[in-house]
Amino acid sequence: MKHTSKFNAAVAMAALCGLLLLPMMAHARPVSYPGGITVMAQKNDEVTSTHVHYSPTAKYSIGHRFEKHREDNFQLQAAQLNYLVNRWNKPDSQANLYFKTGLGGAYNDNGPGSNLAAFAGIAADWETRKYFVSYENRYLEAGKIASSFEQRARVGIAPYVAEYGSIHTWLMLEAKYNEKDEDPFTLTPLVRFFKGPALLEAGVSSSGSALLNFIYRY
Amino acid sequence: MKYIMTLIFSLTFAANALAAPAPEMTAGAYDAKGTLVNVEANGLVCDFCARAIEKVFMKRDEVSGVAVNLSDHLIQISLKDGQAMSDEQITKLITDSGYNVAGIERQTAENAAE
Repeated sequence: MKHTSKFNAAVAMAALCGLLLLPMMAHARPVSYPGGITVMAQKNDEVTSTHVHYSPTAKYSIGHRFEKHREDNFQLQAAQLNYLVNRWNKPDSQANLYFKTGLGGAYNDNGPGSNLAAFAGIAADWETRKYFVSYENRYLEAGKIASSFEQRARVGIAPYVAEYGSIHTWLMLEAKYNEKDEDPFTLTPLVRFFKGPALLEAGVSSSGSALLNFIYRY
Repeated sequence: MKYIMTLIFSLTFAANALAAPAPEMTAGAYDAKGTLVNVEANGLVCDFCARAIEKVFMKRDEVSGVAVNLSDHLIQISLKDGQAMSDEQITKLITDSGYNVAGIERQTAENAAE
């Protein structure tokens, strides 16, 4: 019953995010605590996306991903599995290696219609309360509609170390490479604000596009 | 003489109470009559980690409150009066949440006053 109510709240939040065209998520841990629900929305230079996932255990999460690729003019709807391959916990740091995969459909209203879509990739991160480094990639195959391999990496530093419940601020730099994009390589300086269950990121890429990320963990 | 002894005892008790203020919980409330479990944990680096620990422990009937201190790598679990959780149970909950336990110590209402 508790989970049903949390799930309904998560769906409502996802719908709101969709309405706001805030897409979902990269560069945040894709697996939560047992029973946790996470809502993510992201908008970058090419893609608006949402990702809502539920973690039965701290080892994996299952969820739904939606992506609207504005430049390539197609949408992706997929079920996604995120698996924590390993975590390294130290007193002052944490590192993670994830495997992410999804299966669904890609739809192009103006072109070749629809196609089965699948994607897979890895994500790795290392962070302390002061420094952050991450890398992730994804290969997407949607036949006649899309086929791409994208890589992203980030470095970040917190100008001050905040206690739990206070506002945490991070200054980050994201590099993205996707040879299929109009601008294959972009750099995006961004600022991250993090407080309790909510995380918000905003930046502007070297191609002049805004980046917005929002994450809420129930 | 009896009055003086009573006064000394009262002052000593009050001094102890002032010296060990009730820990502030980040979720739930501290139960002064119950056991306080201090857990040193590895991997606590952000608010999502702290929230995860709070959520997992606050689901337990034995738990009155939880405090997470990222700087000290410390999780404090306030158990309700008359309730108990073993070290193994606590370790399993933290491990299942994705973190590691480095040490556990307990503080009861009795030994806190000593």
